[in-house]
Amino acid sequence: MISFIARRLVIMIPLLALLSIVSFTIIQLPPGDYLTTYIQQLEAGGQVVDEAEITRLRAQYGLDQSVYVQYLKWMGGIFRGDFGRSFHWQAPVMDVIMDRLPVTLILSFSSLVVVYVVAVPIAILSAVYQYSVFDYFATLFGFIGLAAPDFLLALVISWLFYLLTGAMVTSLFSLPFRDAPWSLAKFVDMISNVWLPIIIIGMAGTAGLMRTLRATLLDELGRAYVTTARAKGLSESRLLLKYPVRIALNPIFSTIGWLLPALINGGVLVGIVLNLQIIGPALMQATLSQDMYLAGSIILILSVLTVVGTLISDILLAWLDPRIRYGEAN
Amino acid sequence: MVGNKTLLEVKGLKTYFPLDEGLVRAVDGADFEIQQGRTLGVVGESGCGKSVTAQSILRIVPPPGDILEGELLFHRYSKEGDAFSMADVIDLAKLDPRGREIRTIRGNEIAMVFQEPMTSLSPVHTMGNQITEAILLHQETSKAEAREKALDILHRVGMPKPSQTIDSYPFELSGGMRQRGMIAMALSCHPSLLIADEPTTALDVTTEAQILDLMRQLQEDLGMAIMFITHDLGVIAEMAETAVVMYLGKVVERADVDTLYYDARHPYTQALLRSIPRITEDRRKWLEAIRGMVPDPYNLPSGCPFHPRCRSAQGECREVEPPWVEVEPDHWARCILYADSTTATAQG
Repeated sequence: MISFIARRLVIMIPLLALLSIVSFTIIQLPPGDYLTTYIQQLEAGGQVVDEAEITRLRAQYGLDQSVYVQYLKWMGGIFRGDFGRSFHWQAPVMDVIMDRLPVTLILSFSSLVVVYVVAVPIAILSAVYQYSVFDYFATLFGFIGLAAPDFLLALVISWLFYLLTGAMVTSLFSLPFRDAPWSLAKFVDMISNVWLPIIIIGMAGTAGLMRTLRATLLDELGRAYVTTARAKGLSESRLLLKYPVRIALNPIFSTIGWLLPALINGGVLVGIVLNLQIIGPALMQATLSQDMYLAGSIILILSVLTVVGTLISDILLAWLDPRIRYGEAN
Repeated sequence: MVGNKTLLEVKGLKTYFPLDEGLVRAVDGADFEIQQGRTLGVVGESGCGKSVTAQSILRIVPPPGDILEGELLFHRYSKEGDAFSMADVIDLAKLDPRGREIRTIRGNEIAMVFQEPMTSLSPVHTMGNQITEAILLHQETSKAEAREKALDILHRVGMPKPSQTIDSYPFELSGGMRQRGMIAMALSCHPSLLIADEPTTALDVTTEAQILDLMRQLQEDLGMAIMFITHDLGVIAEMAETAVVMYLGKVVERADVDTLYYDARHPYTQALLRSIPRITEDRRKWLEAIRGMVPDPYNLPSGCPFHPRCRSAQGECREVEPPWVEVEPDHWARCILYADSTTATAQG
């Protein structure tokens, strides 16, 4: 097992180098750079842009250097913990990300917890009492959750919320806390606002997980080993949890690692609709305005998390399922 | 230990499955007894209701199947010195299939060995885990003691290197070893009745012979009764003292094994026996097969369900339900040919 993990870690090094090149290339793909976009904005506003000023800015941002030099400089900085500067925010990329990270993590993590806590029991009941009234309701909810796009859900729910309470959902924080530093009061304020985005972001995930787990579990419930356990004298609930549920959950728990990038980049559209200060919308804006170091850094972080998440998933799967663990040893 | 004491009486058992396509009478009149410490063979083609009969006894018939009629009288004896005294009789058919009472019987007093030792064992739990589970469930022992008992029973079933195999997963073991583990699991609580549902069908002939030997040996040692379900008449001859033949949910004949082989009365049993290849026969001769096909379970023939395939069918067979007749002492057949016998009963 240890050699397996070590081998995987070694493979990760060239993979990550490759990923950084790909990330940087993607950022460079659209024609022009941040300054072209910036000049366009200024000209659209009727301002005259001084040619000398542009050259000065281009030199200041290092945009006059070749792509390779830009890449190497950027990578060199990353090893020192410096991801470059965001043109748009006029601040280090790291600051822009760290600013949004706590809220992003709280939001993503709590919606993830909600997804599992809600979906797993419903799926189990739904499969055990297949074709019952409960199952039909769960199925209906599952299809709605899967079919409705999250931004639409966000619009509809915040409209309903407005109709019912007269209040608008505009941010995670009430006005007095919006620019205040973190404090207990601000945290409490966030808790009172955070449930709505959590429901919206979690909806599709809950529906999807519910449908998948119900299907796998239905498959497992008919297996002979369930009958064996029943013939042994185990009570229904104990045998359900020990055998079919355990086996049906294996693939689901082992894919938890894959959710790692989603934790950072989840809820982009919901974030835009509800005006949430999270990373997803910032990435979108950065790509639109060709804010290359911010966009590149977020994409790079997402790629790293994807690779790490896959490794975590593989380790989890081997740990949970002896068939895979032993297959690896042979 | 072996006495002529009844352990289980199955009387008029009917287990039906109401499906969308129609009502399937999986077991439609099964009558037999199992004696303490003896082996009863149950033979029949696929789909004749052998397995559902076994599932009915343990009350693990998969939904929507359910027992409609009949009694499953399980006799419990308490051991006092050398003598067995009858303690109580319990009708398994009346128990709640999810209730506590049937669960204390399952795996403890009546245990079952299944056909496919690969799929019947959990792939993600060790053999030891699955065996000790039954012990911990039915006996008040510590985990360490349960493991000792599991090792002991694994040793008894001839599992090679029990101290290693106890921590193995089923997929690491061969088919024969898995079935030994399965038998160990079933016998871990010393049941008085072991139901073996085609325990050797998935094994090759050499392993089959070993497992059959093992089961006979264990029966001698532990004294449990065995209900041995198979489609293989040869295996029945080897294993059982008495046997019942089932066709489309009905027990059509019941006798001791010798009588059944040399003096079968029901036309179905006779046809089955004729379809066994014999080593002494002329090899150029065609092997006899029972003509026709097993009927569609949703549209069973009226009267005697065997009449469309029966050599001796008469006009009446189409309409009249054949009676359950004791053609000779302890030899019963469900056929109109013997309806004139003096001991005919009107049982369905």
